[in-house]
Amino acid sequence: MKTIVGFTFKNKVKTKSFIVTTIILALLVTAGINSFYVMSLFNKDEGGPAKAEVVAMVNDTEGVAPALQEYYKKQSDSKLSIQVYDGSGDPATDEAKLKQDLAAKKIAGYLVATEGKAGEFPKFIYKSSNIRVTGDSTTNSLETALGSVKTDFIVADSLTDAQKKQLSEPITMSLEQVAVSEGNAGTNQTEEQKIAANILVYVMLFLFFMTAYMTGNMIAAEVTAEKSSRIMEILITSVSPLSQMFGKVMGMFLVGLTQIAVFVAAVAVNVNLPHNIAVLKEAHIDMSQIDPMLLIYGLVFYILGYFLFAVLFAAVGSMVSRTEDLGQAIMPITLLSLASFYISMFSLATPNTMLVKVASFIPFTSPTSMILRLGLGEVAYWEVWLSIVLLLVAIFIFGWLSAKIYRTGVLMYGKRPSWKELRKAMKAYKI
Amino acid sequence: MNALQVEQVVKVYGDKRAVNQINLEVGRGEIYGLLGANGAGKTTTMRMVLGLIYPDEGNIRYNGKGYSKELNRLMGYLPEERGLYPKIKVSEQLVYLAQLRGMSKVDADRSLKYWLDRFNVPEYYDKKIEELSKGNQQKMQFIAAVIHKPQIIIMDEAFSGLDPVNVELLKETVKEVRDEGASILFSTHRMEHVEELCQNITILHKSNTVLQGNLKEIKRQFPRESVILGTDGEVSELHQITGVTKVDRLETGYKIGISDEQAAQEILRTAMQQRTVNRFEVVEPTLNQIFIKAVGEGHE
Repeated sequence: MKTIVGFTFKNKVKTKSFIVTTIILALLVTAGINSFYVMSLFNKDEGGPAKAEVVAMVNDTEGVAPALQEYYKKQSDSKLSIQVYDGSGDPATDEAKLKQDLAAKKIAGYLVATEGKAGEFPKFIYKSSNIRVTGDSTTNSLETALGSVKTDFIVADSLTDAQKKQLSEPITMSLEQVAVSEGNAGTNQTEEQKIAANILVYVMLFLFFMTAYMTGNMIAAEVTAEKSSRIMEILITSVSPLSQMFGKVMGMFLVGLTQIAVFVAAVAVNVNLPHNIAVLKEAHIDMSQIDPMLLIYGLVFYILGYFLFAVLFAAVGSMVSRTEDLGQAIMPITLLSLASFYISMFSLATPNTMLVKVASFIPFTSPTSMILRLGLGEVAYWEVWLSIVLLLVAIFIFGWLSAKIYRTGVLMYGKRPSWKELRKAMKAYKI
Repeated sequence: MNALQVEQVVKVYGDKRAVNQINLEVGRGEIYGLLGANGAGKTTTMRMVLGLIYPDEGNIRYNGKGYSKELNRLMGYLPEERGLYPKIKVSEQLVYLAQLRGMSKVDADRSLKYWLDRFNVPEYYDKKIEELSKGNQQKMQFIAAVIHKPQIIIMDEAFSGLDPVNVELLKETVKEVRDEGASILFSTHRMEHVEELCQNITILHKSNTVLQGNLKEIKRQFPRESVILGTDGEVSELHQITGVTKVDRLETGYKIGISDEQAAQEILRTAMQQRTVNRFEVVEPTLNQIFIKAVGEGHE
């Protein structure tokens, strides 16, 4: 058994494809983490004081323009300035002239007031060649400015400046999650812990899916390859199929762990680079806020989940005689692992729904769902342990079943056997 | 006590009897020939001997005992369809396979080097299987079957796909292994190999044993049916001899088919009256002929 584990591990880790994928993924992780820093570099360039923006104001019937100009004069750090545009009376020629200025980059955009009832604050249209639906710094600033001007316009002089300032101040509200009952795993979390947990859950789900699916696939592919190269006949006469299968599963497990270790190392190195520390702090990401229990549970569920999927992959691999047929054969398990991944991924924002709760007890989806609930939702310890026990029972049952299928499957060549044929063969082989 | 005893073994797949009441015994230092057309039940028999599948009836005994896991160490297997890991070095996988059969790494390595030297290919130690020619891959496969010094070796189609030089080389090594005391169960379609290597044979046909026993005795049971006659010129009236069924003219004489061994003497007398006879032989039936006779009837 030890020999098989070692042989499987050594030969997989040495393959070019494994080395290349691992390096590519590690580079992707590195790129991902550093992208925050790179993006912040670009943002700084944009935020330079040199580029002043001019917004032209057209059709100003209610005298909003002077008030706006006054507002921006007070905001010393704003790069916006308002220029009143005297219309010629004909809207078409005005538009043409403004568009010329836009093209010449004399102005960043122009604000058109639509005529409302007299004495009412007008509605505005901001026109620019570069409009973003989500808003950018210019539109945001204009909105704030117009809001302030509107307050002045309506209240006139009935409020003091201090009162006006209070009115215009944004509301501060920070978020904090509390657990409603005692003895639950999802303890009170501050916002920073929440962000850290969010990231960790995301990463763990992703790693679980990636490594379990990839190594699972490798197991199936290896078993099929051994079968199609007929070395299987020598192997099964040397060691029992059971220790052979579990040796392979264990060996691949170590391969998966190695891969994870590489990723974790890549993350750790990158996060601790000086330039990244600053950026992460700015984004309120503090990895030291991670609950170590979450990591431990995550590892437990990863291991259990991996074994459950791995034995199935091995069983399916043993039924197929040719590598070409493998993709089709492992489809059901692929779908199962995808379901497990996506149920959790789509529920990242809503970790306490009934779907996630149910999924966290079903062995195939429980590894991901339970990690999600542990990290972000609310879950009682007895639920976690029940889920682990269910998972163990499932591993036992499916491991036993897979071993039987494996024992039969490796001796069957030709077309992929149906369940009926497999049962028949099991009987014939007295397995 | 023989090393391998197969007693009244039956294997049924669904409604088909793959093997029907087979008996055979292989002694120590013996190569036993298991013959049969494709689908006759050879591979199933071998798989049962290997413990891959269990017989439905009957017993298989190894040194007098039933099957147990420990036997894996004592058995070697050269499967019909060859296969090793194509992308892994010869040394790594053969040592691995030997380790799986309970050999220590050091011993396995030493044994591998011995065999590579024996085949005059020590340079393959660090090569990958896919880099070797088919014949050399066969040699590696053979090494995989014998590297752990097994007592019982199963060889399914041992020499298929080899050139004559390599067949000779492998035959020599099989004999060596036999002389060291191994019991070898051997299957092949090449009857001349069986004649050279085996003392006892079993011919299977459609799951049943049709012929079994000592090769020489089997041959004695079959009548001699042809005569080789070498003369310095033409011999006439051979056709007229009673019992002659067929006369073929060869470069140096005749090959004459007979239905009765008495006819052979008559042929010799007739020939000596006319010419100088420099060769005369009443030929034993070849195993090939025996096999075709035993299996050929009803073989579609």
